[in-house]
Amino acid sequence: MIQSKPDLFEDSAVRLDGVGLRYESTEEVLSGVDLTLAPGSFTFLTGPSGAGKTSLLKLLYLALPPTRGEVSLFGRRTSALSRKELSAMRRRIGVVFQEFRLLEHLTAYENAALPLRVSGRLESEYRPDVEELLRWVGLGPRMDARPEQLSGGEQQRVAIARALVNKPSFLIADEPTGNVDPEMGERLLRLFVELNRRLDTTVLIATHDLTLIRKVSAPVLRLQHGLIVRDVEFGPEGVVA
Amino acid sequence: MSTPTPLLPQGDAREAALFFVVCALCFLAALAAVTARSSYDAARGWTAQVEGEMTVRLRGADRRAADEARDILVEAPGVLSARVLGNDEIETLLEPSFGAGGLPAGLPLPLILAVEADASQANMAPDLQRRLAEAGIDSIVEAHADWAGDVQRALSIVRLVALSTVLLLVATAVAVIAFATHAALLARRDIVDVLHLSGATDRYISRLFERRFWLLGLKAGSVGSLFSLAAAALAMSMASGPGGRGGLLPRLSLDLVDLFILLATPVAAAIAARLAARTTVMRSLKESI
Repeated sequence: MIQSKPDLFEDSAVRLDGVGLRYESTEEVLSGVDLTLAPGSFTFLTGPSGAGKTSLLKLLYLALPPTRGEVSLFGRRTSALSRKELSAMRRRIGVVFQEFRLLEHLTAYENAALPLRVSGRLESEYRPDVEELLRWVGLGPRMDARPEQLSGGEQQRVAIARALVNKPSFLIADEPTGNVDPEMGERLLRLFVELNRRLDTTVLIATHDLTLIRKVSAPVLRLQHGLIVRDVEFGPEGVVA
Repeated sequence: MSTPTPLLPQGDAREAALFFVVCALCFLAALAAVTARSSYDAARGWTAQVEGEMTVRLRGADRRAADEARDILVEAPGVLSARVLGNDEIETLLEPSFGAGGLPAGLPLPLILAVEADASQANMAPDLQRRLAEAGIDSIVEAHADWAGDVQRALSIVRLVALSTVLLLVATAVAVIAFATHAALLARRDIVDVLHLSGATDRYISRLFERRFWLLGLKAGSVGSLFSLAAAALAMSMASGPGGRGGLLPRLSLDLVDLFILLATPVAAAIAARLAARTTVMRSLKESI
């Protein structure tokens, strides 16, 4: 099985204090969420559809501000950050979106390299790393293909490569194995765990997939009706060798 | 290593329409600017030419009286020269009324003196007329500047209208580009969001749009400027063609200043496009997280 790192940390990589979120004139989708993720922790987030998982992730990858409460990342309150600091903070976060959100006019390689490109790094510096990562996720021969030429699973792997390419401090993945076969799903999960182990990356994976959860011994947060109802449940021992 | 694909997709039909609009605006703006400058030059040329020039028409006088009048005028303070016009010169003056075939036989010609005076001395005509009257010579003295004043005022209005047109066209171009940028931003919101979430700063995203609209402004401005150059050349060709007369209208020509206007038009269009894009994008991004 894959053993994640221990999850008892004094400092927090992620901290939510009484966070609420309301979209225009609707009821709150998140109602006073308190959450702490320790640096280098590996956590699953689960819950029924409509429980607010995606909304919670949006707060964490800084796509939305909370309507109440405070979101802190890496020890800094995000509400106190300037726009430039928010951009710098986002560069420390890797996100695998459920709907991939690849840029249709870019190749798989260019999509994967996007975070490095926007950070102003030279392509000559990062090209070998990006190509190696794409080969690792099984897209070596498909680097020059555009998203429309890729299958759903291939697009998902490009999205994962894009999230990992920056060696982020915090990785957020929304149903990251939803479109890949079990073998590739396991391989990707191993990649997340390796990232967590080797680089101390804090990992949060939102998923409905209990099979996936069972493969890693890690705490499982359950979100229901906009509240985290259980945050210390550990998944059973996994089956990934 | 291949050139990376631009992060904003290549232009679509909307950009082609915008290109046409900016091109047309630049064409009109360059033409208006050249017109403003030509009218300014024409007004200045006319003024410089006629300032200090006067015509003295003698009534009931013969050639001997004309010579006497010339001597009186030359002695007057501020007069630089005075001479009696010959019949040939008078015929040339009357040619617009009688044609080039010469004057009818027996037509009595007036005795006219051309006077050139110091342009800095104002209102000399009454003084010269008084001096001639004191010598018993009946005359009418006309300062050319009196007539030029009307022309100058008319040209000043033309110039003002042309400059206002330039400003209006520039403002229109900026507004159109700002509108187009906003539309492009909305149309590519998904791309902008992904760039944002990948850590791109507002300036980084803004520069993508600025570069796009800078190039559009430069290209559209160049084409518009070329068309206005062609239009100006055509106007000059028509004005100086067979039958054209050089006496009344100022001479139309393209000099360095006109060429500067034509070269500056695309640059100005590009700068205006860039600034409009930057302002629009930065303002729009600030409304998002």
